Amino acid sequence: MTGLHIEQVEKKYKTAETDLKDSFALEPIDLAIREGEFFSLLGPSGCGKTTLLKLIAGLLEGDAGKIRFGDKDLTHVPPEARRFSMVFQQSLLFPHMTIGENTAFGLKMQKVGKKERLSEAKRMLRMVGLEGYENRFPEELSGGQQQRAALARALVAKPRLLLMDEPFSALDPGLREDMRELLSGIQRELGVTVLFVTHDREEAFELSDRIGIMSDGRLLQVGTAMELYEQPASSKVASFLGLKNIISGNIRAGYFKSEDNGMEFQTIHKMADGRQFLILRPETLRPIVSNSQAPIGSVRFKGAVSKLKFKHGAYTAQIQAGNLQLECALSRDEAEKLEPAQAMELYVNQSDLQFVEH
Amino acid sequence: MKRMFLPLRICLSLILFLFIGLPFIALLISSIAAGWQWPDLFPETFSFRAWEYILVGSSGTWQSIGTSLLIALIVMIINILLAVPAANALVRFQFRGKRLAEAILFAPIIIPPFVAVMGIHLTFLRLGLTETILGVVLAHISPTLPYMVRAVMVSYSTLSTDWENQARMLGAGPIHRFYHVVLPHLLPGIAAGASLSILISLSQYLITFIIGSGQVVTLPILLFPFISGGDPAVASAYSLLFAGMAILALFSLDMALKKYYQTKNPSVLKVKGAKR
Repeated sequence: MTGLHIEQVEKKYKTAETDLKDSFALEPIDLAIREGEFFSLLGPSGCGKTTLLKLIAGLLEGDAGKIRFGDKDLTHVPPEARRFSMVFQQSLLFPHMTIGENTAFGLKMQKVGKKERLSEAKRMLRMVGLEGYENRFPEELSGGQQQRAALARALVAKPRLLLMDEPFSALDPGLREDMRELLSGIQRELGVTVLFVTHDREEAFELSDRIGIMSDGRLLQVGTAMELYEQPASSKVASFLGLKNIISGNIRAGYFKSEDNGMEFQTIHKMADGRQFLILRPETLRPIVSNSQAPIGSVRFKGAVSKLKFKHGAYTAQIQAGNLQLECALSRDEAEKLEPAQAMELYVNQSDLQFVEH
Repeated sequence: MKRMFLPLRICLSLILFLFIGLPFIALLISSIAAGWQWPDLFPETFSFRAWEYILVGSSGTWQSIGTSLLIALIVMIINILLAVPAANALVRFQFRGKRLAEAILFAPIIIPPFVAVMGIHLTFLRLGLTETILGVVLAHISPTLPYMVRAVMVSYSTLSTDWENQARMLGAGPIHRFYHVVLPHLLPGIAAGASLSILISLSQYLITFIIGSGQVVTLPILLFPFISGGDPAVASAYSLLFAGMAILALFSLDMALKKYYQTKNPSVLKVKGAKR
C-alpha cells in the first residue's frame, strides 16, 4: 500500500464562549492520495480545508481517526518526524539566515554535511529560478521570489508529501500564474506527492490530478476536474465549481417542472419523482438560427437576449427565458448575429441534461 | 525630524547637557577638590587625594568592582534562564492562575524591596546563605526578574507560532526550533532585559547590605558611607567610578550583541543602522 491514507479523521473545535457547543467541526473524513499525485482540496474559506491539512501535517491532533503513509501509521508521530514538508501562505523564510541557509535548513536538521547541503540547496534554487541568490537575505527578495525560495526549502529534503496551504494567494494574479506553471513543472520533474489547499477553483483545476471539494467541514466530492465538472454530485458542488444555470425543480411522471413554472419538459432519463436540480452547462445551450433545426427530441426554450459579454475570446449571452436567467456560451459567428433584447430559441440535447438530487 | 529647526536643536542640546553633562562635571570637580566650601564657585585648591585613595590605596575598590560585576553577570544569566520559559508560558498559554502568576512576578516593581528582603533575610539566615555571594545573587533576582520577563514577553508576543510550525515541518525538533528560530527572534528583548538586569543589580545597596551583612562588598557598599556624610571628594570619585563601571558593562553587552549579528547576519545591523 502506498500513498497517504486518511481514515475517519475528525476534529471538533470549541470556542471559549460556547464551551459546550461545537463551534466548528470537521466531520469524519476518508481520503486516499496516491504517490506522485497532485491533489487539491478546494473549498470556500472556513470550510475546514486548512484544518484537514494541519491534521495531516500533525500540527493539530485529531479527535479520532488514523493517518497512514504507506504501511506506517503516522497518527501519533510528531510533525517533525513525518518527513512531510509544508509551504504556508506567507513564505516564512527565517530572516536571520541567507536564502542558501534557509533552503538548506531541512537538510541541516537531517544532519547532512555543510558542503553537501549547500550544494543541494543551490541545485534546488536553480530549479525554482533563483540561481545566484544564495547569499542574499529574505528581506532583499520580492514576494514572488520569497515564495519560490520557500518552495525550494520545502522540497530540498525530498519530503514524502508536500503540503501547501494557499501558497500563492498573497501574490499578484500574473505572478500567481507563473508560480503555478513553475510548481506544476517541478512536481512532475521530481514526482513528489502534493496536497494543495486553495479556494481558487481555476488554480485547483489547472494544477491538480484530482480535486476534493469541501464545504462546512465535509468532503463533498472527490474526482478529476473533468469528472467534477461533468458529474457534480450536488448543486452545492456545482455552484462552487462556478457552474451556471442551476435550476431547481421537481420531476413528476417523467416530466421536469422548474420551481418557478417557467420551464417544463419531458425527460428521457428514467428518474424517480421528487425534487431535482437541473444543470445546463453554458456550452450545451445552442441557439436555433434560421438555417438550422433543433434535433428531434431535444428540449427547447424561448427567450430574449438580455446581455452579451465578451470574455477570453468567447462570448457569453445572458438569456431571459421566462423567470429564468440562463447563461449560454456562443461562438463569435453566433454572437455577431444577435442583438440585445432579440427574441430567440434555444435547444439542449437530452444527453446533455444533468440532474442532481440535492 | 532630520532637519530640525536650528535654534531648537541648540536649545535641546543645551538642556541635555545641563541635565546629564553638568552633574558629571560637578562630580569631577568635587572629586579633585581639597575642601570646597560655600560661597566659592570653584574650589581654591585641588588634590588627587580621593582618587589616590580609591584606586591605589588599600580600599579594596578593584575587588568590589569585580564582585559587583560577578554578581550582576550571574544574576543576568539566571534571569535569562528563568524569564524565557516564564515569558513563553505567560504569552502563549492560557492557564488557571495566570493573572496571579503575573502579579507575583511583577510585584517587586511595586512593593519596596525592603519589605521582601526582611523576610528573605530571616530565611537565608536559617539556610546559611547570608554573607555569601550566592545569597546576594538570589536576593538580587527579585528586583531584576520582572524587567527581564517583561522584555522577553514583548519579544514572544511578536513571534507567531507559524515560524515554529514551519521549522517543525522542515524536520526541526524542539531544541533546534528554539535555537534556530525562537532565540534569534528573542535576542533583542533578552538584550534589553539583560541591560536592565545588570544596571539594577549593580546599583543595589540595601539588599546587598542586608543579605551580605557587610561581608559581600560591592561598589555601592563602599560608596554609601562616603555619601552619607563621610568624605564628599571620595564619594564623588566613587560615583564617577560607578558610572564608568555601569557604562562599561552596558557597552560590552552591546559589543557582544553587535558581534553576534555581524557573524550571523550583517544585514540586520545594516537595517538597524539605517533607522538610527
